[in-house]
Amino acid sequence: MNELLYQFAEWLYATPWSRAIEESFYLYNWIETTHVLTVMLSLGMLIFIDLRMLGWVMPQVSAVKIAQRLNTAMMIGFVIMFITGILLFYAKPTYTIQSIWFRIKMVLLLGAFVNALLFHKRMMSSEGSWDMEPRAPAHLRLGAALSLGLWAGVVTTGRLIAYDWFHCYRDLPAAMAWAAGCVAD
Amino acid sequence: MELLPLGFFEWAESSFLGYIGKTYGGIYATLGQSVHLISLAVLGGAVLVSDFRLLGWVLRDVPSEVVAEQAHKWFKIALFTIIASGVFMAAAIAIKLYYNAAYWAKMYALISGVLFVFLVRRPLLKGDHSQINPWVLKLVAVASILVWVSVAATGRWIGFS
Repeated sequence: MNELLYQFAEWLYATPWSRAIEESFYLYNWIETTHVLTVMLSLGMLIFIDLRMLGWVMPQVSAVKIAQRLNTAMMIGFVIMFITGILLFYAKPTYTIQSIWFRIKMVLLLGAFVNALLFHKRMMSSEGSWDMEPRAPAHLRLGAALSLGLWAGVVTTGRLIAYDWFHCYRDLPAAMAWAAGCVAD
Repeated sequence: MELLPLGFFEWAESSFLGYIGKTYGGIYATLGQSVHLISLAVLGGAVLVSDFRLLGWVLRDVPSEVVAEQAHKWFKIALFTIIASGVFMAAAIAIKLYYNAAYWAKMYALISGVLFVFLVRRPLLKGDHSQINPWVLKLVAVASILVWVSVAATGRWIGFS
């Protein structure tokens, strides 16, 4: 599996656009800047929705209304973040695919996505019974807290990708080398 | 133009805070950079929810006074955390920052943003919004978005300069 992923990364690396993005100082850095700035929009909206569920912001306003009204702006932010994230990976595929932080980030992203789906389903099925309460029911509050924690993890591991403390060219314990996806040269 | 002399930055880098940030990369990356980014998300949310409401893009059926009031509370928390984590990060690389043009651009943008919020935006939005010309509210919202996006963008470019 790790070998297949690395071969795919090598193939991406050999494409002209991958080289063009990485070698362009302004293009690469503006893609990264956009990726980071979009945090303000996507996570900014998400945090407000989660904080409302916890009863920490606008407790007098309908929780479902806030979730629904901020959803479009949040999704625009996530789409931009997703596109710029793919471009950043495309520019440095062989480095990134062997970053343990990138791998943990992907697992956390998957967790955040599943949590968001479950949260939305539960929120819509129980709408009306608690909507105007200052705090959402316990299971939704748990989902909101989990969302905040998972996204804090995504941001942290995303930032740590830049650090190569545990990269494959270092002397790593076997378990960590496996987790980072290191393949023999 | 630099706001503080080089001596201050030399002192900051040799301080205990500077020593911790320079010596322990993990602490620098998590308590510094990661907390800074998470706070940016909270600050971004506070600014954008409130400004998008003033522009009539979101939460049109919620009074803009309520949105502005609630968002401002979280703005203050986020701003404090951003400044605290920013000072910690800056101490570790203070001398390098003194010669970094993007750092000074960020400082000017940040000071403009803070002055704008506490001297213009907040005093204006404290009152009844129906008494304010709608175009003034929209202008304030656009200016607010521009200034905080500038703060974030110049901040990111510190690392590229």
